[in-house]
Amino acid sequence: MPLISTQAIILSTLRYGETSKIVRLATREHGVQSAIAKGASRPRSRFGAALQALSGGQAHLLLSERRDLHTLTGFDITTLPVRLASEVSRYATATALAELMLRVAPPDPHPEAFDTFEAALALLEEAPPPALPALTLRCVWALVGALGFAPVLEVCARDGRPIDAAGTLPFSTAEGGALCRLCAQTHEVTDLPAESYQALAALLDATAALPALDARHASAHRRLLSRYIRHHLAEGATLTALEFWQQPAWSVG
Amino acid sequence: MSTLDDLVTEFARLPGVGRKTAQRLAHHLVQQPGERLARLAQALVQVAERVRPCTVCGNLAEADRCPICLDPRRDAGLVCVVEEPAAVASLERAGEFRGTYHVLGGRLDPLSGVGPEALRLEQLVARVRAGGVREVILATNPSMEGEVTATYVQQLLAGQDIRVSRLARGLPMGGDLEYVDGVTLAHALSARQELR
Repeated sequence: MPLISTQAIILSTLRYGETSKIVRLATREHGVQSAIAKGASRPRSRFGAALQALSGGQAHLLLSERRDLHTLTGFDITTLPVRLASEVSRYATATALAELMLRVAPPDPHPEAFDTFEAALALLEEAPPPALPALTLRCVWALVGALGFAPVLEVCARDGRPIDAAGTLPFSTAEGGALCRLCAQTHEVTDLPAESYQALAALLDATAALPALDARHASAHRRLLSRYIRHHLAEGATLTALEFWQQPAWSVG
Repeated sequence: MSTLDDLVTEFARLPGVGRKTAQRLAHHLVQQPGERLARLAQALVQVAERVRPCTVCGNLAEADRCPICLDPRRDAGLVCVVEEPAAVASLERAGEFRGTYHVLGGRLDPLSGVGPEALRLEQLVARVRAGGVREVILATNPSMEGEVTATYVQQLLAGQDIRVSRLARGLPMGGDLEYVDGVTLAHALSARQELR
């Protein structure tokens, strides 16, 4: 059993037996892995408070060559993003990202997805409240892109023709992006008003200024993104954290 | 033998019990005298028939209201919000708290599909709105899910004229700084108290 040490973020934990936990981890060098943390629930466990969902650190794993469940021998915590819990929208987004990693990221090295996930958690923790509606969308789109499913906006997703950026934009979830007028006639599309198209383009571009989104527009963008994820990444599975994020039943008032 | 298999399957559904442990338990039981098994079966049936959530606080009860809610010596103006009935038992063992409880029946956990609608939040707000509550103590677990649940409850109660507090986090009594993890130490430092 080789012992490895890798940068990791805890995605979820599940109690196992009286004192152990099964931990799903996103690791930078080995993709998403499952490991048993023996004795993690004991009062004086060496893991202490480290095995919290979304905490980051250095994971020490004994890799099992015969099965998919490894052994977590230690976790040196470096970040516990407790401020995510101070606002439900931050936490909802973080768990939606964790769910994407759990469902889509492979058990093989995928540093780009890991780095995007890690950066998103840091951004979500630090962002001022007014930036949250757009920032939460950008974070989820960024991870979708890092996992290889970024939508195409510049050219038609079907035939590669240039897109006429003036007026409404026919957007096809199934085809993975914008369609030219010709393809839009034969495919199911959502007509994005120019303002929404520009906002979407800005959300997809990490270097662009965050668009200002009121509650109604932010909600429409969340619906579009959720539909896109369900079609391309969920493979029929129910994504409960994504549902929670998309339909803010958590919003108080 | 399907009867025994059924028993093993039922045991294996219990939290923390795997197939092997379930088999061990089942084989242990079949070796016990019949009257002992009958007592166990009777206890299970009685639990199923009698134990239900208290209509006020959600704690386990054998009547409409639990003994704590019925106790006139308890301070009904103090409501301690916990995730599960097991937490009530733990706080009662501590023997310090003389208020009442509100059991949410879980915590916000989007990854497991648990949203606010699955928790006894409306009942909590109704209790507070009915008057007489001075303080709500949020005693959800010190985990990310427990913290966000506390945040949510705090937001829900923001408009009410009551005090909302959170259980302190920090060092355990009898502990040793050398062995305390960094997260707990950081919390203990940030929540330090002035000595008066």
